Amino acid sequence: MTISQGATIMPGGGISRRPLHFIVLADCSGSMRGEKMQALNFAIAEMLPNLIAWEQEQEKAQILVRVVAFADTPRWHVEEPVPVARLRWKALQHVERGRTNMGPAFRMVAAALSPERLERRALQPALLLVTDGLPTDPPGQFEAGLAALLALPAGRAAVRLAVAIGRDANSEALNRFIADPQVPVLVADSTDQIADRLVTASIALSRMSEVGVDRDALATQLLRPPAQAGRGHPDEESIV
Amino acid sequence: MSQQDQLPASTTGQPPGMPAGVPARPGWLLFTASAPGAAHRGVALPNQDAVGSQGDPGLAAAEPLAVAVADGHGDLRHFRSARGSRLAVDVACALARDLGAQVAGASTAEAARVQLTVWLLPRIVRGWLTAVAEDVAGDPFSSEEAGHRRPGDDPVIAYGSTLLVVLLAGRWLLLAQIGDGDILVVEADGRAAAPVPPDPSIHGSYTTSLCQSGALSLFRVAVIDQGELPVGAILLATDGFGNAQAVEPWHQAVGADLLAFVRDRGAGWVGEQLPGWAARCASAQGSGDDTTLALLVRGVPGGRP
Repeated sequence: MTISQGATIMPGGGISRRPLHFIVLADCSGSMRGEKMQALNFAIAEMLPNLIAWEQEQEKAQILVRVVAFADTPRWHVEEPVPVARLRWKALQHVERGRTNMGPAFRMVAAALSPERLERRALQPALLLVTDGLPTDPPGQFEAGLAALLALPAGRAAVRLAVAIGRDANSEALNRFIADPQVPVLVADSTDQIADRLVTASIALSRMSEVGVDRDALATQLLRPPAQAGRGHPDEESIV
Repeated sequence: MSQQDQLPASTTGQPPGMPAGVPARPGWLLFTASAPGAAHRGVALPNQDAVGSQGDPGLAAAEPLAVAVADGHGDLRHFRSARGSRLAVDVACALARDLGAQVAGASTAEAARVQLTVWLLPRIVRGWLTAVAEDVAGDPFSSEEAGHRRPGDDPVIAYGSTLLVVLLAGRWLLLAQIGDGDILVVEADGRAAAPVPPDPSIHGSYTTSLCQSGALSLFRVAVIDQGELPVGAILLATDGFGNAQAVEPWHQAVGADLLAFVRDRGAGWVGEQLPGWAARCASAQGSGDDTTLALLVRGVPGGRP
């Protein structure tokens, strides 16, 4: 039994908010070396306060963050789900001459979202893919990895967004990862824009995870290209 | 009873003049509570859960008792789900109680299961669909409501709801459920389980629903022979309760604690606490979702009030 604040005695092991797993798949291939990787690390650090703010504003979810760093092979950069407010960002490093193999990264995330490992009460996860290039997977590997992810109820239901660093990275592959024609790939034309795009993505991911929202309408509202939106990213006032 | 507000705890089955929580005979005590979810209040959604019963809990040893909870879906597409859950509870309890006398005479668990699945559940689905159709006919969708509908949506989608129903009839305990939520059965010795099989298609914020085509096939059921498995308590809970539990699996811990509370503090005390437990689970520290509980506690003559 649990004795909570205010001395309310309850049956069971206590209560907590529902987990919302927020998983970043970060491209750490060789082409990310230098300024791009610095900008990505800065952008993720900038994104975290927005997630913390959203967590405090809404009344349902506790955000748990994990990060996959992928190049030739994926590895967990943050393996255990960490409450976002407790995450102390440790910089990602590029892999010298590393390729951009996405399929194994999808499989790694799929394993983490399997019914055996995901809490029964978890909200649909949020997945954010950040890359500066096209997938370099051997034939069939990208598709197989994505299929493994989307075969899972939680993988299929996950809110999935992608940030392309550079126009050339805005590929059909990213649209297949998102699998929602209403949700565009967010493009950072320069390293200066990476932080803006990640902040936008984090706001969209969190808002689209809320109960009762129209995901497509929200995606249209929050993820319009800057040229249409008239500003770099939606400010707090624009989020209903 | 308004579904907009937190429902008061109720204790039924007591003859006049008896203190709450004191069973007059070896029947059942029924307590209910419901609290609106913090996340629902934030977006001005009403409490879309419902709870109800038919029959006298104190007479359940001889007379059938039906108890149900239902959880109307929170998505705007299901903009009349509060009505849908209320209709589900009312239809299910009335029909289940009608079946009670017949079920009580069942000679085997299989016979009781057949009555549940072949007689009761199809009638519940049909009865709910009819009740929804009547509600729409009597109160057509406003233009604002119609704006929440997707192209091709059947009107019944607006009323989407889960349903968890329990029928106590003689030695038989019949459980049926569509959608999320939990029916926890606590044996007299404190062992607890959720006998209704899980549905792997339910995850995140997705659930099966009465408003789906083929809803009948989505029900999961269980039948318990109380002659072989003495039951001490039954908890019906919408998913706001289970989703607030910090520890998984939570069924054993919650069940054992409930029975210990009844033993040590009395069933009346448990009944008084129920609204507070529902409110805490529904709060921003818990699931943030509407939370509704119906707790049946077997009365013991001379037991602590």
